Amino acid sequence: MAILEIKNLVKSFDKTEVLKDVSFSMEKGEVVSIIGSSGSGKTTLLRCINFLEKADKGQVVLNGEVIFDGDKKKEMLPAEIREKQLKFGFVFQSFNLFPQYNVIDNVTLAPKLIAKSRPDFKQNKAKIYAEIEEQAKNLLNSAGLSDKYLSYPCELSGGQQQRVAICRALQLNPEIMLFDEPTSALDPEITNEVLKVIKSLADGNMTMIIVTHEMAFARNVSDRIVFMDDGVIAEEGTPEEIFTNPKSKRLKEFLSNVRM
Amino acid sequence: MFVKVTLSLLEGFYTTFEIFILTLLFALPLGLIICFGSMSKFQPIKWLSKLLIWVIRGTPLMLQLIIIYYGPGLVGTWAQANQDGSAIMKWLATWQCFDRFLAVMMGFVLNYACYFSEIYRGGIESISKGQYEAGQVLGLTKSQTFFKVILFQVIKRIVPPMSNEIITLVKDTSLARIIMVYEIIWNAQKFIKSDGLLWPLFYTGVFYLAFSGILSLLFGYIEKKMNYYRG
Repeated sequence: MAILEIKNLVKSFDKTEVLKDVSFSMEKGEVVSIIGSSGSGKTTLLRCINFLEKADKGQVVLNGEVIFDGDKKKEMLPAEIREKQLKFGFVFQSFNLFPQYNVIDNVTLAPKLIAKSRPDFKQNKAKIYAEIEEQAKNLLNSAGLSDKYLSYPCELSGGQQQRVAICRALQLNPEIMLFDEPTSALDPEITNEVLKVIKSLADGNMTMIIVTHEMAFARNVSDRIVFMDDGVIAEEGTPEEIFTNPKSKRLKEFLSNVRM
Repeated sequence: MFVKVTLSLLEGFYTTFEIFILTLLFALPLGLIICFGSMSKFQPIKWLSKLLIWVIRGTPLMLQLIIIYYGPGLVGTWAQANQDGSAIMKWLATWQCFDRFLAVMMGFVLNYACYFSEIYRGGIESISKGQYEAGQVLGLTKSQTFFKVILFQVIKRIVPPMSNEIITLVKDTSLARIIMVYEIIWNAQKFIKSDGLLWPLFYTGVFYLAFSGILSLLFGYIEKKMNYYRG
């Protein structure tokens, strides 16, 4: 069974239709990269999946459960949306770390606040916090940030900040990781350190959707590539099919214009 | 004479300080409430808050003090003169002037809350949307996002404009004498009539300078404390 199914998603901003009937599905452990030119709807699609935007029509189905239904008139409660958002980890183009907290606090803030609603929180507070911190340190270590626990975001390079942001998302144990152009705000020479972390997640069988302009990376890391153009999925297939044997005219044009 | 004047000015300065500290105590939280009102998605509340801010910022504090102090008494006198026995007129006839100090406090708190609310709004709106979205995708509630993530960043950003406004408040307290609340300038002016002395009035400047000097140091310290991060 597919872990995630997107059915006929439509989204407009004012009068501009950004998503025009987008459907696709993915399996557990699959890595899907979404490519396409700016304005093609890649980011909006990603944001609609985890409720940062509300789609006008269509459905999002996670593990067989309809988590978003555009035809339902009733608004979802904020608590309901939060619970569903937590199934996804989201990494922003601009990191969005909390500047006033150090690295470890950035990673542990949300899980510590969420833990407060656990019924055993009061008697096990110290233990729960210790577990959260332990997990955070493990994540940071595996992202090569073992010496940065107490640094503030402003003291880190963009690549380090993005790695912290990835750890922060992973700390909540999401089922699917969503990356919104994770390296677009970085110097070319430090994109690799972030891509390496994402690659290691892929090797660890994490289910991921990556919106990216890094074609070589997309080709290397993805099981499947989705090419979006003007609000629709214009073509999709394995990296081989997309990069060596593109069918549509638009994809051929696109690929001839981007560097590999 | 110098000791006598100093003691009298100290007494006046105590009132000045009272106005200052009580205004801060009430206007800082009230400003946040007005700020939320002016940013509310519920239009009537939003426009009511905007109207209040417009009226309060658009008229002199001195005039506001006069209206707050004399207004209710005037209404009461008028209602007594035109009494027709109706419940509302009977009620209006009971209106009297507020206690002078209470009137001063009402005027200052309302006035400063409106100015503070606009500073808060500027601070809140300067925080990038990404910070709210990061809170959202991490499963924080709206209030957790505001209190754990946004508020501290807002405070850091508004310390300079706030210190400006608060130092202005130190000097604005002198307006209280318009409705005969005996703050430091009133006490100094007294010596013109009683002893023909002008210098006590000049001497008040020392008190204001010393006080605002301490505040400047305090704000400088706070800014430095909050400077452990950028952004």
